[in-house]
Parts: sequence; structure tokens; C-alpha cells
Amino acid sequence: MAQWIHDKDPRSPNIERLLQDVPKCPGVCLFIDIVDSTWIKYREPFTKWGQKLNNTFNFISLLNDFPDNIVKGIGDEIMLYIPENVLHQKTTFRTCFALLEEIYATLDNIKNFPVDGLFLPCKVAIHYCTEAYNVTFLEGYNDYYGKDIDLSARLMSKAKPYRIVLSEKFYQKVQEDIATENIQKEQGCLKFITEKYIEDFKGVPRPVEYRVIQV
Amino acid sequence: MEIVDTLQDGVVILELRGRLDTTNYSFLEEKIMKLIDDNRIHLLVDCTDLSYISSSGLRIMLMGLKKVNSVKGRFVLCCLQENIREIFEISGFTSIFSIFATRQEAMKQF
Repeated sequence: MAQWIHDKDPRSPNIERLLQDVPKCPGVCLFIDIVDSTWIKYREPFTKWGQKLNNTFNFISLLNDFPDNIVKGIGDEIMLYIPENVLHQKTTFRTCFALLEEIYATLDNIKNFPVDGLFLPCKVAIHYCTEAYNVTFLEGYNDYYGKDIDLSARLMSKAKPYRIVLSEKFYQKVQEDIATENIQKEQGCLKFITEKYIEDFKGVPRPVEYRVIQV
Repeated sequence: MEIVDTLQDGVVILELRGRLDTTNYSFLEEKIMKLIDDNRIHLLVDCTDLSYISSSGLRIMLMGLKKVNSVKGRFVLCCLQENIREIFEISGFTSIFSIFATRQEAMKQF
């Protein structure tokens, strides 16, 4: 659970002291968004749209052992944060490579599901964060702050339906897993990955490197 | 995961043992593709000893179903444990697969 950062006095030195002692919390940040959901809301009744949203989020979170890692849901988007020590304790996916494979499989299953109208198309952005802190400014909430959390959200601007956008930092972690676990490079979704893109992102003072996997 | 295959009355029975996930789905994928290439198009997947299936595993099941259907074969599942059945329900897969409680019932579908 996040450390609550709070002091009623706006000039209190306690806040700085508190924040200085907060440890970094490296891990994987994921944003999963339902595509064109605003358009769908205007086209279909709330009950139909809500049912599809339920089905899609069930598919993504329950199937992938994610429920405990959902930090927040904002409309039709969910943010997940999986601290590195938690990732290694998972059974479905213990590594970044396995996590990527499962997300790819999930999007592929939704895209190729033989019955129409049950699920909604999704897009995903993934980043491996080192500049992240498990703190909250609201009592009782779990949250993560830091430059890398912002960058994860920025990556989403490059996502499209059934597309996974992964930062180069996450890709490097995947490469480490491949080497450590002796995985064949041609195996799985990595055969569909693009070359590296380098772009400036709004609010980020240095170019961002990322890759894309289109399902 | 271990895959044990036996042939019975023209039906290949695939017994899946253990966990089907990212670490091993490619073995099942290769097995199914090889069977179809060998014109073994009636497949019964016995999940009695399947303890877990992830999205990657479901993806291979879906691929198998589509491949077998495309060559006019049958892809049937049986003996799902409760947790596996729940995953199939959450993912909507119970509506697209033929699933039976026992192997005997499943064999009648061929």
C-alpha cells in the first residue's frame, strides 16, 4: 500500500523530509485502454456498452492475474503497476517477456474471437519504470508517482487498436529475460516487433525510444 | 506441461498435464499443427490433469479450433477442472468450444 504523504501546513518541512525517505519502487507500468469507447457510448445504450466493458476488463485483468495490480481506472482506461518484486512472485508471468506474451495473447484472443459483439478492441502501452514511487496524497488510496509513470501514459498516444507500444526500457528487460531464461528469439510475439522509434513526447525533455507490436 | 497423445477410433486424444502458459504453449501449437498436417483432424483435448491455462494457452486452443474447423474436422474438449472452466467462462470460450464432462461423452461427438 502506498505511503500517505500528508501535512496540513503548506510550509511544513516535514513533507520534504517524508519525501526524501520514500524509496524508489521499480516495476512495470501498463495502461490498457478501450478504443473508440466514447463513440460506442453514443451509438449503443449504456447497458450494452457496460456489458462489453465488463467482459473486456474481465478478460484482461482476471485472466491475467492482474486484479491486485490495478492502480486506477479512469473511464475506459485502466492503469496497472506491477512492482518488480511482485512480478517475480507471479505464477502466470514472472518476467517481462512472459507478461508481454500474455498481453499479446489477450489482445489476439479478443481480436480473433469468433463471436461478434462480446468484447471491445483494446490498445496497450508498457514501460519499465525506475523513477517511480509508491506514494499517495489522498488517505487510503494506492498510487504511484514519478517521471516514468508520466512517460508510460505518454506512450499511449502512439497506441492504436490491437497495438502494444513498449518503451525501449521495457524491451531491454524483455531481452534480459530472453538471455536469462534461454528463450528462442523467434518465439512468440517478438517476431512481430518493429525497429526502434525515437520521438519527442509532450512534456518529456529528452527523446523517447519505443517499439510497437501490432496484433 | 506434458502432452500425451493416443489414437482411438480415428480420434487423437491429447491429454494435457500441468500448466499451459507462456513457457510451453508452443509445444501444443506444434503438436496441433503437426497432427493437422498429418491429416489427423479429429482432436479431443482431455483437460483432466490441466491445472492452469493462461491467455497464451487459450490462444492456442482458439487457433486449434479454427484450424481444425477449416479442414472440416472436430476439436472437442473434456474434463475441465473447476478453475479451468471458470477461465473458459470469463473469456467467453464456453460459447465457442464443445465441452463435455467426460471423455466418453466427448467421444460420441466424432
